Amino acid sequence: MDFTGICDRLKAIGAPGILGVDEPREKNPEDKKDLGRAGDSFVLVDPEELEGFLRFCRDDTELQFELLCDLTATDPGNDDEELWLNYNLLSIAHKHRLAVKAKISKENSNAPSVADVYRAAQWHEREAAEMFGITYRNHPDPRHILLPDDWIGYPLRKDYEYPKEYRGISCE
Amino acid sequence: MDQERTATVTEPKESAVLPDGSKEFVVDVHTEDMELNMGPQHPATHGVMRILLRVDGELVTGAQPHLGYLHRCAEKIGENVEWLQYLPYTDRYDYLAAMNNNLGYSMAVEKLLGIEIPRRAEMLRIICAELNRIGSHLIAFGTYGLDLGAFTPFLYTFREREWMMSLFEKICGARLTYSYIRIGGVFNDTPPGWLGEVSRFCDTFLVKWQEYYDLVVENQIFIGRTADVGVIPREMAMDFGLTGPMLRGSGIDFDLRRDMPYSLYGEVDKAGALNIPVARGEKGSLGDCWDRVWVRTMEMKESIEIVRWCLDNIEAGPVIGELPKTLRVPAGEAYVGIENPRGELGHYVVSDGGKVAVRCRVRGPSFCNLPVLEEIMLGTLLADSVAIIGSTDVVVGETDR
Repeated sequence: MDFTGICDRLKAIGAPGILGVDEPREKNPEDKKDLGRAGDSFVLVDPEELEGFLRFCRDDTELQFELLCDLTATDPGNDDEELWLNYNLLSIAHKHRLAVKAKISKENSNAPSVADVYRAAQWHEREAAEMFGITYRNHPDPRHILLPDDWIGYPLRKDYEYPKEYRGISCE
Repeated sequence: MDQERTATVTEPKESAVLPDGSKEFVVDVHTEDMELNMGPQHPATHGVMRILLRVDGELVTGAQPHLGYLHRCAEKIGENVEWLQYLPYTDRYDYLAAMNNNLGYSMAVEKLLGIEIPRRAEMLRIICAELNRIGSHLIAFGTYGLDLGAFTPFLYTFREREWMMSLFEKICGARLTYSYIRIGGVFNDTPPGWLGEVSRFCDTFLVKWQEYYDLVVENQIFIGRTADVGVIPREMAMDFGLTGPMLRGSGIDFDLRRDMPYSLYGEVDKAGALNIPVARGEKGSLGDCWDRVWVRTMEMKESIEIVRWCLDNIEAGPVIGELPKTLRVPAGEAYVGIENPRGELGHYVVSDGGKVAVRCRVRGPSFCNLPVLEEIMLGTLLADSVAIIGSTDVVVGETDR
């Protein structure tokens, strides 16, 4: 199924929390500030409804996204007040993909954990949590995964300040 | 190992009456669970990975991989260097399949740029990616023998891998970290006679392949060590998001090269040169260690078929498109997943129209295939744990990035 077909199906089965879709578009030649957008289409979802939304995607027979391929977050820049949560779903039965995005505020960055829906999410959420400072609510194992337990700061945030030293080792 | 190990012998609790009337006493020996650190420098963990095992005698009652010993912030580096400059860093996460990493990253950026790749470059990309897949599987295959105590296959596979690496050395000058596949095409055309040598490699390799297959895969001792060990059922494989040989080892017929074709794989498939091996549970339950090794072994043979198809169909032409020296990538975001030897290698790149990426996410297949260990190692014997870790074929450079 292509992206439009997936969106129609999502609307038809009443998947919760859909805020909109974003598709690539051409540059507007009259507006110089408009850069257009290249790449993939994605569905924008309310972060609070994520768990239910993904459950719908997984269980519907026509969508059947059995695999959570990727889960990550993105800090679009210091000017932005929001962090993006990115989910990438893959259906083995129907051989299609869906990119899902949710936006949460940087100030109060927490989101529901989807480890109940896809077990694959557990480690990805641990990584996103330590790199972006996101709190995944009801996460079964919220420890650091790649960074040491005593690491300060969230390295993939744009406002991250590099440490001067770590345990007596100079980093400059 | 400084954990205290205590054994208490309790009073005989149960007694069964044997057929001759005598009583058999059952003595319970309770041992306390012991925590055992496997790694970070254990030869069977394939790198600097640590697995915290909890063992009750010989039984594994808990396994927890601890990562991060090789963490190099590849994603943060991606946000600090220019698009073209990031390419050499991609070599370094899955260092056994650097060509495939180059390909994945280049394709993600090309998707945003929306450019066409010259046909000869696509052919060379497939040849290199498939040769690299063979090299990577040879390591997986050889070191798996080492894990199980068979030293010979390791020496044999390294002999063939050496040839493959010298082929790459001739084409790009490097033996491990190639950076050969670039954004827009490949770095350079082939040196004279290179394609002929690849063809000779294919012929020789198929003979050697049969030797490996007979020597290891069909070996009764090998089957005894791997069949019915570390079984991953279909549902578990999908729930954990496994990809690549781990997924096909559980009997799920899915390969990105055929099912979501990229580059010229669609044409390869149409020509009938793309037959994806899927495990059938021949020697034990479906999804055991033997099945995964079998899938990798058969894939080497399939890769030779694909390379041969490319050698037959390659034409002269340019190998790289025209690109500006300072690359500005149009604003947008793209995710590209390609079939790495270990599974789906995904690159998620976000651009704001500038010289540097806003986000450069790498979805490493080793990282995603690893958590299943926590589940399948429960209740197995300690001696099998090495067989199970080896069958996942992790490269720690990629789990930690």
